[in-house]
Amino acid sequence: MSTKEQKQRIELLQGTLDLLILRTLLWGAAHGHAITKAIEFNSDDVLQVEQGSLYPALHRLIKRGWISVEDGISENNRRAKFYSLTRKGRRQLSVETGKWDRLAGAIARILRPKPEPE
Amino acid sequence: MNKRGKRLLQELDREIREHIELATQDNIDRGMTPEEARHEAFRKFGNVTRAKEDAREVWSLVWLEQLLPDVQLGLRQLRKNPGFAAVAILTLALGIGANTAIFSVINSVFLRPLPYHDPDNLVMVWENNSEYPNPHNTVSPPNFIDWQRRNTVFSSMSFIFDERDNLTGNGDPKEVVIQNVSANFFSLLGVNLLLGPGFTTENGQSGHDNVVVLSYGLWKQRYTGDPAIVGKFIVLNGHPQTVVGVAPQSFQWFIKDGSLTGARPQLWSPFVFPQAFQQHKQIGRFMTVVARLKPGVAPSQAQAEMRTIAARLEQEDPDFDGHWGVNIVSLRDQICGDLRHALLVLFGAVAFVLLIACANVSSLLLARAGSREREMAIRTAMGASRWRIARQLLMETLLLALIGGGIGVALAVWGTNALLAASPRNLLDLRTVSLDLRVLLFAVAATLVAGLLFGFLPSYLSAHSRISETLKERGRGSSSASRRALARKAFVVAQLSLALVLLTGSGLLIRSFVRLIGVDPGFDTGHLLTFKITLPQSRYGTDQSCITFFQQLLSRISTVPGVRSASMESFPPLTGLGAATSVHLLGLPSLTPSDLPVANVRVVGPDYFAAMGIPLRVGRLFSAQELTEEKHVTIINQAFATKYLQGTNPLGQKAVIYMKSDAESESQPSEIIGVVGDVHQLGLDTAPEPTVYWPHSELVMSGMTILVRTSSDPLALLATIRFQVQQLDPELPMAAVATMDQLLAESLSRSRFTMLLLGIFAVVAVVLAAIGIYGLIAYSITQRTHELGIRIALGAQRRDVFRLVLVQGTRLTFLGLAIGMLAALALSRLLRTLLYGVSATDPITFAGVAGLLGVVALLACFIPARRATRVDPMVALRYE
Repeated sequence: MSTKEQKQRIELLQGTLDLLILRTLLWGAAHGHAITKAIEFNSDDVLQVEQGSLYPALHRLIKRGWISVEDGISENNRRAKFYSLTRKGRRQLSVETGKWDRLAGAIARILRPKPEPE
Repeated sequence: MNKRGKRLLQELDREIREHIELATQDNIDRGMTPEEARHEAFRKFGNVTRAKEDAREVWSLVWLEQLLPDVQLGLRQLRKNPGFAAVAILTLALGIGANTAIFSVINSVFLRPLPYHDPDNLVMVWENNSEYPNPHNTVSPPNFIDWQRRNTVFSSMSFIFDERDNLTGNGDPKEVVIQNVSANFFSLLGVNLLLGPGFTTENGQSGHDNVVVLSYGLWKQRYTGDPAIVGKFIVLNGHPQTVVGVAPQSFQWFIKDGSLTGARPQLWSPFVFPQAFQQHKQIGRFMTVVARLKPGVAPSQAQAEMRTIAARLEQEDPDFDGHWGVNIVSLRDQICGDLRHALLVLFGAVAFVLLIACANVSSLLLARAGSREREMAIRTAMGASRWRIARQLLMETLLLALIGGGIGVALAVWGTNALLAASPRNLLDLRTVSLDLRVLLFAVAATLVAGLLFGFLPSYLSAHSRISETLKERGRGSSSASRRALARKAFVVAQLSLALVLLTGSGLLIRSFVRLIGVDPGFDTGHLLTFKITLPQSRYGTDQSCITFFQQLLSRISTVPGVRSASMESFPPLTGLGAATSVHLLGLPSLTPSDLPVANVRVVGPDYFAAMGIPLRVGRLFSAQELTEEKHVTIINQAFATKYLQGTNPLGQKAVIYMKSDAESESQPSEIIGVVGDVHQLGLDTAPEPTVYWPHSELVMSGMTILVRTSSDPLALLATIRFQVQQLDPELPMAAVATMDQLLAESLSRSRFTMLLLGIFAVVAVVLAAIGIYGLIAYSITQRTHELGIRIALGAQRRDVFRLVLVQGTRLTFLGLAIGMLAALALSRLLRTLLYGVSATDPITFAGVAGLLGVVALLACFIPARRATRVDPMVALRYE
């Protein structure tokens, strides 16, 4: 995965990682590696999941009851843990998305102010 | 941790392996060699142990679960370094103990509620003369009556004046201190008596005032705590009085400023003003007045109204009330005022000691962190987070703090007792000082704050050191090491400056104390026994009987072997205010009564001035005839002559001294026949006041203090003298027995107390600061052994090495002294009211303490510097 130059990659903040995991699981259950891949792929490799923090994040989300976990079989036929969104998690996703939109919009307005009307 | 979490964590290992497996596969698919692919997958995953630790933290109440291992690890670390642990714990115990001890005194003096109902609404009401200001001047009965009638701010007012009476029956005769009070005294203070109904309003009317309330102490000692004492009679000055109550043990009423006896009361009796008090204003000012503010009235409002009333009284009776105003003081300020300043200074001082102690322990921890750097780096590499490492270190410091704090509280218990033993006896009822919940909370808070203070920086620096650097550089010369060295230097500078501030404070107090004890009291205090005899009115009703008794007593005492001379005085020096009155000098232009000069009046016996060692300046002393008959002569002191008779010859001047009770003899002037030297009446730090002396025959008093000059230890003669007193009258008690040296020591006790404590704190501070700079230099030399070895190998002389090391210490010392000097200049002003005869910026003290601390600090550098010169280059170069 070295299609992008190192410096163009952005490491994720903790809270953001939670949000992205929830969003990724919206498409269906997935195991840890698949979640990483999905986030990187969907962001055109801009976002790099620090994988050391992926599992603590998953455990945190389980503890809060936003995702659930069950055993399954991975693509190379091994036992793997599959994580999926709970109903509570779905609700949380929309809350978090709304928050993110407001934050991103606000930052954008500050960084790129609209020109004053003449 | 719950079950689900546990299972997830158990399987996390396999899950991560699987993850890396998949990632490797992806990489191979992308065209990497299997080896590259695997390496890349691991690199991308990051620290596996750390990921597992973090996941574990999600599930556990981490800090709780890791607490026990942290505590165990911490204890192991302390055991491994017993020397370090002992020094650190002892240092902290000293700091925390001293703080707790001082706080326990502050707690009982300032913070604990006074033992009265709603004490915040109690105020003292004093008179104050604008010409001769004394903000706590006692009150005259007619003014009290007027105030009571006219004011709208107090719900009630009560007066108190004390005297010594003879208590007879039930054992030896005993002199007791009684407070004459208004009948509402106990109800105003809101005190519930232990026994009995107490005073009723009826007791405030004449003919019904022969009742008393006993103090708890008197009841226990004299009446063995008789539960049926109420209703029984006791005999005071030969008159029977009915006991109507016993006060609770906690009850105290002693306002030193207004007390005529200077002693705590043992019983209370209602006093009814004679009719004369209501009409005739020429009554002295001798009462203490306490009042309760009406709800919602502020002391300032009360002060404003009382000022108006005083102004009106001044207009109505300018002769008596001219220049007299009213001063309102809250009860708390009245009681604590004396001590507040000294205690706050001491509290500030112990806080400094604790800061210095913290800096020392912190510095020790920093030094140790150097040797533990590799341990920490390895733990970080193994996946411990920064917070995890900082927490581990904080736990170690917390353990240190807790053990130190525990020992500190034990020290405080012992220290508070020592404090009480050394404290001025009459100053305050310190017996109520004890360790209560508030003090313990304070100790815990001090411990935790200390722990955070000294633990924060070492933990922070350790947690933020860069692993790779540390592992590569093997802990020597790394950037974190230099940051630690900088922090330790800063600590040493801070310690030296704090120590200098304390040293300056104690230096100023010591110098002021030396000045104080250098003051000539005006008489010879050595080998002088004093005791008080009060003749009861019932058996010594006439003047002649009093004169005869005292004459006989003095001549009997003079015959006792070992007695050089014996005399007597009404109010001897160092025993309190005594009587004072206005004096009308006939040779001077006449003045209104309220503008007349005021002088102390002292009644003395034969040979008084010789026995006391008070020198005659001008004129002559009383003749034998003047001592036995009323010849209207007086002797004044130097202060009187200087203040009121400047530029005139005092001898032969006539003065009317308004002290006698009947109007006819009162206006009889006395002729000044001599001037004697000044005596410090109140204490060495108080200027002598204008005083007039009368022979006992001129104003016969029934209560006199006998003064016995002996050739050896005066207390050794006490039994013989007591025998002589009892030969004359077996019913008479000897009260207030003391040597003049004891009285002098007691009058100095507060100055000595403050000086002693601040001195001890300063010494502790200096020792700690010296240990601090010694530790720093010694440590830096072990760090520089290699470098020093090279220098010596290359030909550096021992002298050069010595200088090299010393320069480092000198620089820090001078910086610390300079900062400390500035701080001391700023802070020493706070001591001003505690100083006598020394300015708060006394250059000699400042130079002296700076020099002393500089020498101590350099000596502390000297020892390790000497060691540095003995470095063997061969050993040093091999030293790695």
